[in-house]
Amino acid sequence: MDVKETRYKLTLCDGTACIHNHSKAVQQALETELDKHGLKDSVSIHLSGCLGMCTKGPILIVNPGYIMYGRVQVEDVPEIVESHLVNNKAVTRLIITEDHLYNRFFRIFGDVDFFGKQMRIALRNCGIIDPENIDNYLSLRGYEALAKALETMTPGQVIEEVKKSGLRGRGGAGFPTGLKWEFTANQDSDEKYVICNADEGDPGAFMDRSAIEGDPHTVLEGMMIGGYAIGAGKGIIYIRAEYPLAIKRLEKAIASAREHGLLGENILGSDFAFDIEIRLGAGAFVCGEETALIHSIEGHRGMPRPRPPYPSVKGLFGKPTLINNVETWANIPVILLDGADWFNTVGTETSKGTKVFAVAGRVQNTGLVEVPMGTTLREIIYDICGGIPNGKRFKAVQTGGPSGGCLPEHYLDTEIDYESLAKAGSIMGSGGMIVIDEDSCMVSLARFFLEFTQDESCGKCTPCREGTKRMYEILTRITEGQGQPGDIEKLQRLGEMIKHSSLCGLGQSAPNPVLSTIENFREEYEEHIQDKKCRAGQCTALLSYTINDKCVGCGACKRVCPVNAIEGVRKEKHRILQEVCIRCGQCYEVCKFDAITKA
Amino acid sequence: MLTPLQAIKKKRAEAVNRIVSKGYLSTKRVYVGMATCEIAAGSKEVMDVFRQAIANGLTDVYLSQKGCAGRCNLEPTVEVVEEGKIPVKYGRVTPQRARDIVERHLKKGEIIAEWVI
Repeated sequence: MDVKETRYKLTLCDGTACIHNHSKAVQQALETELDKHGLKDSVSIHLSGCLGMCTKGPILIVNPGYIMYGRVQVEDVPEIVESHLVNNKAVTRLIITEDHLYNRFFRIFGDVDFFGKQMRIALRNCGIIDPENIDNYLSLRGYEALAKALETMTPGQVIEEVKKSGLRGRGGAGFPTGLKWEFTANQDSDEKYVICNADEGDPGAFMDRSAIEGDPHTVLEGMMIGGYAIGAGKGIIYIRAEYPLAIKRLEKAIASAREHGLLGENILGSDFAFDIEIRLGAGAFVCGEETALIHSIEGHRGMPRPRPPYPSVKGLFGKPTLINNVETWANIPVILLDGADWFNTVGTETSKGTKVFAVAGRVQNTGLVEVPMGTTLREIIYDICGGIPNGKRFKAVQTGGPSGGCLPEHYLDTEIDYESLAKAGSIMGSGGMIVIDEDSCMVSLARFFLEFTQDESCGKCTPCREGTKRMYEILTRITEGQGQPGDIEKLQRLGEMIKHSSLCGLGQSAPNPVLSTIENFREEYEEHIQDKKCRAGQCTALLSYTINDKCVGCGACKRVCPVNAIEGVRKEKHRILQEVCIRCGQCYEVCKFDAITKA
Repeated sequence: MLTPLQAIKKKRAEAVNRIVSKGYLSTKRVYVGMATCEIAAGSKEVMDVFRQAIANGLTDVYLSQKGCAGRCNLEPTVEVVEEGKIPVKYGRVTPQRARDIVERHLKKGEIIAEWVI
């Protein structure tokens, strides 16, 4: 593609509703017209996922300028091409003028495949604005949702709107946000709190960090609206100290909001008063659990307590407390400005809106992806993230971090929402997504996550404290070639027990990686235990290196071996002393004659 | 006394004015990714190159930081946005590439196709 030549880039919505409204015919007509005017090389057409304006479809965006046309029919195409693309004059009668908050990134990134199928609501300003300058946020209708709530809505109406939107908690559990707000609002108390849970702890997850670093004000605005709705005067952001830049940007955002009269007394001239402070967490995974988080803010050791009472009844310092995750808060301003009726057109029957995923592991394009609920795993992994690199085979995808499960290939076409992932044996979780290819051993992977959870277990309840430790020991044994018949059943029994008897979400979900890998990759466990083999070649204890007849006796392996486990005379076949070999694989890497067999 | 909506609209107008007065409508807007991930990939050094170029007399450029757009494996990223043109998005920008972007793109208007995302 010659970039200099491209004058216009068209983005055509390829969502189901637009296809139903004949967007494919429009695409064909566009191609024909472009051809007719000799514009094929200077105008490119890109297809996007649902742009969220289904009632106005088919939607066509023309860049530069971000001119958005709605209800484009085949008959309109010649006029658009002739007037806009040839004579640079937009076709006014088709332009959609509403200034939506979502999908702003199309202005800049509309022509990059990675972004094509995404829909950005929570991350709408990330990567587009200067996060340290409140003017940038204000210029994009920042704090207008707050003003709208204060001026035109009662707290009850705000709660109704959030309920109607169908928004569910983005921290993992998926509890309906509006209901949580209502429960807290219904509590009669002179003091209430709003908390933003920014204690992001899943290995490989960075959605909340990016959201805060890219657009801190949207979180503040969401919290203020929450405070207004439930009658709270104080908000606290609980964020881990490992996120220094996010903390710095939050501090700056809070200071600028105060300067502008957006925090403090009489916000925007109303009688609403609200302020926000930051509390730093020390990085304990369990503090992402709401009751442990509250203990930590109160200055106690971060440990969960049984619920009920839920924080909405008895939370921080015994007062009714509304806790939501960063991403949940970031959705609130959009719901108020673009409307619950719009918001609940996005997504599936039970899960509305979008979800941010941090896609990592064996994919071509690792990154942060926000897609409408109902997008399939295949679309995320292959269409957005470009598939598996180096021609390797897809093996599984791990969703939901250390609390989630591993889904094999036949789940790739699952449309993601809270229910479908649970049904498949995993969870939405906070949105970590780790893609695994054929080179990864599922037993080692399960062991990795158990190592994490048993380390992070707070120790308060026995099933989690002792159970995860025992599971970890069994898994370690299996990967070291010491697995015994019956280990799989033992793991399953222990896992079920821990799930059903642990106090909090950490323990209740910790066995998931093990149980789901046994369910979907049982043969790998069996191979480890019975045949002492690791098909991915990752469990070093189960590997052996031998030298075959292709050896010419060059001595390269002998020189590189760190433990002198290779002996042999020059120009004669060498030999590996198995009792000395540490299976580091360096000889395998260095041999030019394919003379070392790894098994 | 302004209502909250009137007050926020006034604030927005003032904010837009302040941004414009800082040169937002300059011919070229340069955005450098400056989230933790981008900085880890080396974007601070890249930012310094652009800052230095402006200190050394490069004009008609509005330099801004931005958060992470989510393109992890292509970081650091830099966007050059010009009114009326397709925004140009560069990936894996090193200080050397940044210097080239200053010399070739910002000064001479050449889009360096091979680094475009």
